[in-house]
Amino acid sequence: MNGTLAWVGLLARLVTGGVWLVAGGLKITEPDASVNAVRAYQLLPSSVAEVVGLALPGIEVAIGLALVLGVLTRGAGVLSALLFVAFIIGIASVWARGIEIDCGCFGGGGADPGASSAYPWEIARDVALLAASLLVVWLPRTRLALDSVLFENRAASGAAEGEVD
Amino acid sequence: MSSKSSKANARAQKAAAERAAQAKREARRRMLTVGGVVLAIVLIVGGSVGYSVWKRDKDQKALEEAVATAAAYGVSIGPEDAPHEVIIYEDFLCPFCGDLEEETRDDLARLAADGKVRVEYRPFDLLSQIGDYPIRATSAFSIVLEEAGPEAAKKFHDLLFANQPSESNPDAVDNDDLVEYAVEAGADEAAVGDAIRSVANRDWVTEATEEARRVGVSSTPTILLDGKVFDDGRTVDDLAENLIDALE
Repeated sequence: MNGTLAWVGLLARLVTGGVWLVAGGLKITEPDASVNAVRAYQLLPSSVAEVVGLALPGIEVAIGLALVLGVLTRGAGVLSALLFVAFIIGIASVWARGIEIDCGCFGGGGADPGASSAYPWEIARDVALLAASLLVVWLPRTRLALDSVLFENRAASGAAEGEVD
Repeated sequence: MSSKSSKANARAQKAAAERAAQAKREARRRMLTVGGVVLAIVLIVGGSVGYSVWKRDKDQKALEEAVATAAAYGVSIGPEDAPHEVIIYEDFLCPFCGDLEEETRDDLARLAADGKVRVEYRPFDLLSQIGDYPIRATSAFSIVLEEAGPEAAKKFHDLLFANQPSESNPDAVDNDDLVEYAVEAGADEAAVGDAIRSVANRDWVTEATEEARRVGVSSTPTILLDGKVFDDGRTVDDLAENLIDALE
């Protein structure tokens, strides 16, 4: 049972991590678009939007790498979950205010008429990825994680976490 | 109380000491590993952010070079030999442009009248994917400019921003409203009415927009102060305030 869950954990890591890598990678090379995408939510003051727009792609790539490789997995999972919560709030908020924008999730962003029809699906996608992130946080171990090499219990005290693998 | 048991005792103590040392080494190794991984993450984030900032700066430099040779689709106020030159790329529908206009309109007009600055407003179509308002409004602007001159065009431009529709309902200002503002700005209805209603100057809008794109303007408002991108401000209000301060 635990064995199966550990594999499911690997899948969750790869899916969420892969999404972060793609989302961040597409934005790093388009900093102006990224800043504008954040501004378009009309939630943050201009300069905060600028900082977020410039910093977020790099953070997304780092979280993605950490999840895919399985390094500091739980920490990365927590950050991943927090970001998805923020995105869900952001999209729900523009939806509620009747602002129609491209979510800028994978580059792009800014005004986009008719975008509101995509909001439910975008929120559903983020909820699913949030759930996957939480699963990664909840599981003590997942398969093929670099963590288990880096933090392997060499000492006899491994008995405390005896069921490792 | 045999020497045997004291020997066993010593062995046990030695073993315990070894275990403790082992645990200590292990803890140290973990700390170093965590530190190394965190450092790697910091480097990745820092490198990415650094690249983004560098790329943005490079894009801005390219824009500043291009704008020096850009054809002017717009209207200017203030003397040509004023010590400062401000160029504002804007879209009549963009809410930040509306905020900026509200904050700077009077001060820029006063500074231009005092000969301290020349301000050039370059409207173009950035947001017509929301609705055709930017095209209708910019076309009407160019018609007023051609038929009634720059003074009326500037007044019309001000009226458009003062009565700006929201992005969620850009059709709140229809073509009849545009004609009304044009007349209020000093244009002759007989001269501009039909042209504004039929959006006659679409080509002018297309050309102005292509020119803005060629320069590399990808967002509005884009402000240039003496040829340099001016984006010093936490909010649009700050931006407006700092711009005026720089010109006073």
